[in-house]
Amino acid sequence: MNRRDFFSWGTAGMVALGSGVAVSLGAVVRFLVPSVFYEPPQTFKIGNPADFPFGPPTFLADEKIFVFRDREKGFAVASAVCTHLGCTVGYFQSDQRFHCPCHGSVFAANGAVQHGPAPKALNWFEVTMTRDGQLRVDKDKVVPSNYRLMV
Amino acid sequence: MNLIREIWQSIVRRDPLSTDKGKSELVFLNVWLHIHPAKVKKENLRFRYTFYLGFITFFLFMILVTTGIALMCYYRPFPPQAYQDMKDLQFVVFMGPFLRSMHRWAAHAMVVCVFLHMCRVFYSGSYKKPRQFNWVIGVLLLLLTLGLSFTGYLLPWDQLAYWAITVGTNIGSYAPLVGGQVRELLLGGHTVGEAALIRFYVLHVAVLPSLMILLTVVHFWRIRKDGGLSRPTWRLKPSRPEALVTIGAPPETAPLKTVPASKDKTYGLMEVVTGKPIFETITPEEEEDAVFSYPYAFFREAIALMVTVTGIMAISLFFHAPLEALANPAKTPNPAKAPWYFLGLQELVSHSALLGGVVAPALMVLALLAIPYFDRNPSRRPSDRKWAIWLFTIFVVVNLVLIVIGTFFRGPGWAFVPPWVHVVAGAE
Amino acid sequence: MGRRLPQIFFALSMLALALIVAAVWQASTPSWKNYQHSFLQLEAQEEPNAVTKAAVLATPPQIHQTLLPGLQRVDRCTTCHLGVDDPTMKNAPEPFRYHAGLGPHIPSKFGCTICHGGQGLATDKDDAHGKVQFWDTPLLSKDYIRASCGRCHKEGDVPGVPELTEGRRLFETQGCRGCHKLNGVGGSIGPDLTEEGASHRSPDWLERHFLAPNVVSAGSAMPNFHFDREQARALTYYMLSLTNEEMGSYYSSVRLIPSPEYGRQLFVAKDCIVCHAIGGTGAKAGPDLLGVTKRHSPEWLDEQLVNPQLVYPGSSMPEYDLETNARKALVAFMSSATAQDAQNILAHRGNALTPADVAIEAGKRDFARFGCAGCHGTELQGGVPNPNAQGGQVPSLLHVSDDYTKDEVIEIIRNGKVPPLDKASGPTPPLYMPSWKHLLSDEDIHQLVDFLWSKQEKAKDAW
Repeated sequence: MNRRDFFSWGTAGMVALGSGVAVSLGAVVRFLVPSVFYEPPQTFKIGNPADFPFGPPTFLADEKIFVFRDREKGFAVASAVCTHLGCTVGYFQSDQRFHCPCHGSVFAANGAVQHGPAPKALNWFEVTMTRDGQLRVDKDKVVPSNYRLMV
Repeated sequence: MNLIREIWQSIVRRDPLSTDKGKSELVFLNVWLHIHPAKVKKENLRFRYTFYLGFITFFLFMILVTTGIALMCYYRPFPPQAYQDMKDLQFVVFMGPFLRSMHRWAAHAMVVCVFLHMCRVFYSGSYKKPRQFNWVIGVLLLLLTLGLSFTGYLLPWDQLAYWAITVGTNIGSYAPLVGGQVRELLLGGHTVGEAALIRFYVLHVAVLPSLMILLTVVHFWRIRKDGGLSRPTWRLKPSRPEALVTIGAPPETAPLKTVPASKDKTYGLMEVVTGKPIFETITPEEEEDAVFSYPYAFFREAIALMVTVTGIMAISLFFHAPLEALANPAKTPNPAKAPWYFLGLQELVSHSALLGGVVAPALMVLALLAIPYFDRNPSRRPSDRKWAIWLFTIFVVVNLVLIVIGTFFRGPGWAFVPPWVHVVAGAE
Repeated sequence: MGRRLPQIFFALSMLALALIVAAVWQASTPSWKNYQHSFLQLEAQEEPNAVTKAAVLATPPQIHQTLLPGLQRVDRCTTCHLGVDDPTMKNAPEPFRYHAGLGPHIPSKFGCTICHGGQGLATDKDDAHGKVQFWDTPLLSKDYIRASCGRCHKEGDVPGVPELTEGRRLFETQGCRGCHKLNGVGGSIGPDLTEEGASHRSPDWLERHFLAPNVVSAGSAMPNFHFDREQARALTYYMLSLTNEEMGSYYSSVRLIPSPEYGRQLFVAKDCIVCHAIGGTGAKAGPDLLGVTKRHSPEWLDEQLVNPQLVYPGSSMPEYDLETNARKALVAFMSSATAQDAQNILAHRGNALTPADVAIEAGKRDFARFGCAGCHGTELQGGVPNPNAQGGQVPSLLHVSDDYTKDEVIEIIRNGKVPPLDKASGPTPPLYMPSWKHLLSDEDIHQLVDFLWSKQEKAKDAW
């Protein structure tokens, strides 16, 4: 056998091995990604549209969201988690803004930062209608602040 | 481009592998590979000499460490969650069943291979001077392997795990004076419970693997220091007189110094401070006696690795590790059996707790440890060692028979029931 | 080194690559993905246009799980049973069909396995349905699912599950406690049934056992009570409901169904009829309660029961220390109570019992409650086979006054009777009259004996 033959089988073997290693690495990464979460779900139902009043938003404490219902435009769901360090903001009907008690960030009615250390606007989440007539919020889907669900 | 070559050469600082120098440097300039000699004796590479069992055992250990660390991401060592996590591994985790099965089958295979390796070393007489203490380290590694297998057995927290460990620790408690206390220390209590689980977990993932790695390092190191694996020297050409090594660069210049060949091919710093490379003057017979580790040894090792890995993978694809019902201290399965490698002991214990549980295993371990010091016969030739070979073979066969009896011939109540007889299931 | 070694190395490397690819493929194609794909196709059919159809079909496959820490379980059934809360899937093929009639038991709050059984952690069909080795709570068949209601709703009636009520009633009246312990009270001759539902989940076995105990459990001392099919089923329902559910506070707070029947019992127990009337029948001290739930909101009525002074300062209505579900039950009763109910309540109250009658009633209650009826019969007729007794039978108690004085019977009940004949072939454990002094007070035993004496049949020929 000459050197050329040696390299072809040996090298081919290394290539196959390398591919095996690459596939294994990919599998390792996928292995480390969790398939289920032991936490409250990101997608959940919040009830029937009729349960939500017009005007001031409804605050859902467990899910940390505000549910807005507008007579003309419909439903919108905002995150109640301040983008600075994660405290729960409050919505004040008097000035129609969100105020964070921790470091004083203030967000406008559409979530934009007006004041304070918060780096970004509050998230708005997708809200859809399910087939059994309930509203479903998906916290994994962030939507623009002018998103509305017309019911 | 030159930049790429520069980057490559800053990492790989050896001559090309096409040169002898490059082949040598691949070994002794590489931190992972330099436990090898640059050249190995040809006979040591023969498959039928060692069956590569040492390597296979080591590769199995590496498989166990990698799959084990992966499994640690999804396992909580606390009684209610542990079993749930096993179910998650079975149903929800990507490649969960595959990884878990690889871990389990590699564990069983490692116990088998370490035992076979011990047999091979015995039959080839490779425990004799100067390798006596390496045999002792090997026996310790065997005990560590059994310990790792035993501690890992409890972690799934199913009926099989719980009762196997209950039986196993009960056997251990028969040891005189310290048996009961050692059992309590192991279990962190009086029965197998959550304290036992966390202690076994710590032993299994931290303490025992560390000891295993430490002793393995010494085990490999001593093989190098002993001049590599033993060889059937009586079959080789007559040994040459003590070789001499010249330091310097013959044949053009005069050698600076001539020293006796070091059997491990390691030379002290004083021999290299001249800055000149060392050349062994070796005879042509020796030239063909030894071959470069790269590629001869490394390809064989790689093949051994591939056989081990593909073997375990293939088994794991088709046979998934078992998982029984959740551990239930109130419901003892009948019969309750220890892990298979302890079934021989359990069989002995069923006849006599003291003899079977304490005396026999203690004697076995002590006898194993004493072999290199007991055996005064310096010859490794099989024809000169008939007694030793017979005794050891009987030892192996007795162990196997006991394990086979314990596994297949013992039914409910530890009654002797041949496997071809169907036992009628008892009333609820 | 020839060509051979690198070739072998190459072959093995290819094999390793093939195996890792096979392993990845095996992990990437679980059966639940196929079910999800079929479901998406069903859903896509409903979509009006191609764009939304494509959007639906592009939904990535995902394991759906319901975390239920309050019920100590995790259910992944909805990974395949995707249409469970979708009314448009009423007629879809299983496993996609809509689950009607859930009421408050929505899957996101209760999961599935608490009622149906099965293995919630699993994600393939056979394992999830629990029909595998090493999982001893498989899916309950349709006939028996309603028995699971009793796992949480342990007191009061459960609407829609009369079998549970009947099963409980049979258990208390047929004397089962004479041999079996339940929640710490009962005999030790048979196994403790407190968690029977957890250990024996085969409805088939339970029902057959009630119909013919000795056939199913060879050598059992349990007599054949000659239950009919319906009674056996009712008892099976009751057995299946005997589990020890560790429930979070939400579940334990809602499990008592505020049934009108329970409300009625409370109405009687608290003697509301002493001050109130219903539809004109009853007393006049407080307002008439007919139709009160139409005049006031449930919250108002609840507050009235908690703090009567708040609503009517100076009211003579006492504060009853009732918990939430009890108050709800009372309100439920009042929503349907009529004058007839008041009439019945008054009629029962009218029976002024003499002290002797009270003792006999108490004794009668204890006779059933502590299981004496199990051996001595509900009519005290005896007759249950007992190889250890003289005559081979448990004695009838109808003539006990002929042979014993009251004090002697009291002694027998207190101390029990060692079996007079010790037959090796008899059932194990041997049937015998147990000693009751640890369970019954002297007063209880006196009342029992009073009850026995009230049932004596006079012998035809007096000696």
